[in-house]
Amino acid sequence: MNSVSNTTIQQVENLNRDYICALDSLDMPAWLACFNLKGRYTFISEENERRGFPIAFMLDDCYERLQDRVTQVVEIQSDSTEHYQMRHFTQLISVSEADNGLINAVFNYSIYYTQRDNNLTKILCVGQYFDTIKLDGDSASYIERKAVTDTNVLPRYTAYPV
Amino acid sequence: MSSTPKNEPFLEWPAKYNEVPKAVFEMDELWPKELETIFYGAEWHPIVHRAEIPNPGDYKAAELGEMPIFAVHGEDGAIRVFQNTCTHRGTSLITESAGNKKEFECPYHRWLFSLEGDLVGCPNSRDFTPDFDKKNFSLFQLRTEEFCGLYFVTMSDKTPPLKEYLGESFYEPLSRVLGGDGRLKLAGYQKVMYDCNWKAYCDNDGYHAPLLHKAFALLNWQGGKGFQRISENGHLTFESELKIPDEVTALKDGAILDFKGTTTSTGSIVQMQFPLTVYSKHMDMLNIRYAFPKGPKGIEVHYAYFTHEDDDDEMIRHRIRQSSNLLGPCGLISMEDASVFSRIDKGNKTPGNAIFQKGVQDEYALSFEVKQNDESGNLPRWEHYRKLMGFERAER
Repeated sequence: MNSVSNTTIQQVENLNRDYICALDSLDMPAWLACFNLKGRYTFISEENERRGFPIAFMLDDCYERLQDRVTQVVEIQSDSTEHYQMRHFTQLISVSEADNGLINAVFNYSIYYTQRDNNLTKILCVGQYFDTIKLDGDSASYIERKAVTDTNVLPRYTAYPV
Repeated sequence: MSSTPKNEPFLEWPAKYNEVPKAVFEMDELWPKELETIFYGAEWHPIVHRAEIPNPGDYKAAELGEMPIFAVHGEDGAIRVFQNTCTHRGTSLITESAGNKKEFECPYHRWLFSLEGDLVGCPNSRDFTPDFDKKNFSLFQLRTEEFCGLYFVTMSDKTPPLKEYLGESFYEPLSRVLGGDGRLKLAGYQKVMYDCNWKAYCDNDGYHAPLLHKAFALLNWQGGKGFQRISENGHLTFESELKIPDEVTALKDGAILDFKGTTTSTGSIVQMQFPLTVYSKHMDMLNIRYAFPKGPKGIEVHYAYFTHEDDDDEMIRHRIRQSSNLLGPCGLISMEDASVFSRIDKGNKTPGNAIFQKGVQDEYALSFEVKQNDESGNLPRWEHYRKLMGFERAER
């Protein structure tokens, strides 16, 4: 692993913070803004990932799919979803520079959710983000964010990306 | 007065065939009776497709009612389903949801079982009871039948043969969900817990589809012609023509909705096998939804997705993109179902009956003539349930 500068680490952390703040406030355009035009997002179970099965909970493998994810959350399913408030807790555990100049990072995450109907708070899922990040001056964006969840059985239907 | 024996759950069923008592979703005391009469009764339950355990030694854990079981692919190529318990003191043998083993060893006293379920080793057996014979301590095997690579089990020796139980109107479309010839490859699972009674999970109907699922309208997705077929023992098949508009303006990536069809993919099929398994072939998605009630509240659903052995790389990629984004607990065209499951459950904590209307011609008779978007197709299943549970219908 190549060592990376504190500035790079800060950029990786800032991008992650923008990402989790976007989801916790359910600001889907802000979520989309974390990705660049080559961006991909995958939400997949640890079981499928470990066993080499490609089926994911969400598989946005091109920028158009990311845009459609925003449409799905904001326009298509908003009236039937029992809304839940997410809170993301993340910890950067690895960051390195790849040969192509891109940054690879791994975060642990745990996500709590609180339903409005009963106001109980439970764990939605726990896992790791595997990121490929492009740095461009002061800005950073995801080429890929793959959320692998140890929670192989989700506790409820999941309307929003994690 | 009811003649219900002591300790039997009592529920008076409404006189009208289109009414179901809401309490049926809420009475915890129904569960032991449901286990006995349905899950351990004369019904077939799908457990595994050969594609999920394609190699000798591959196994998959599951549950039948509250009983832990597992399916294993033997050295002889046969697939058997066993109770997940050592025949000695009952310790569970399998602790992972799936894997591969050469044999099954109980860690407690090191009793060893072959992939075929035979007891092949048990330390210090010279000190066992005088008539101890390993042949009498094979794993408990469940009665099993196979259709298009899908293996079903039943606890009862009275259950009719599988094809007779399913009926041709059910197993013929099921063969098409299973790729026509059952030559499938597992693409992976989506697993989720739904917060409802198991009967709320499987009470989805033909009426709701164009109304609940906003994506259908947004995608200008007009359902093609179709029909429902119902059997007296509660199985239901929806089959409809696929009508996907040439241009989808609501999505940037309309390719996700492509139907690349094959000779065995002629339409949209959704099947509900009593008591709670769903099979579907929407567009190019081949899906089995195994479901495991966790007692009277909560149901764990495993959406298993498949590709076909003859698929080329493009078709595989397409099936995976569709399956991962359209169906399941996050899916564009199905997530609303999950929302309704828990809302049905919450709403039915109120008194009275759930009332079916769409397609009901005569409230006091059961009809098997049902149109594509009727909800009355669920009523024969409720009648089958009522009879199994021994609930008497109120007098008119």
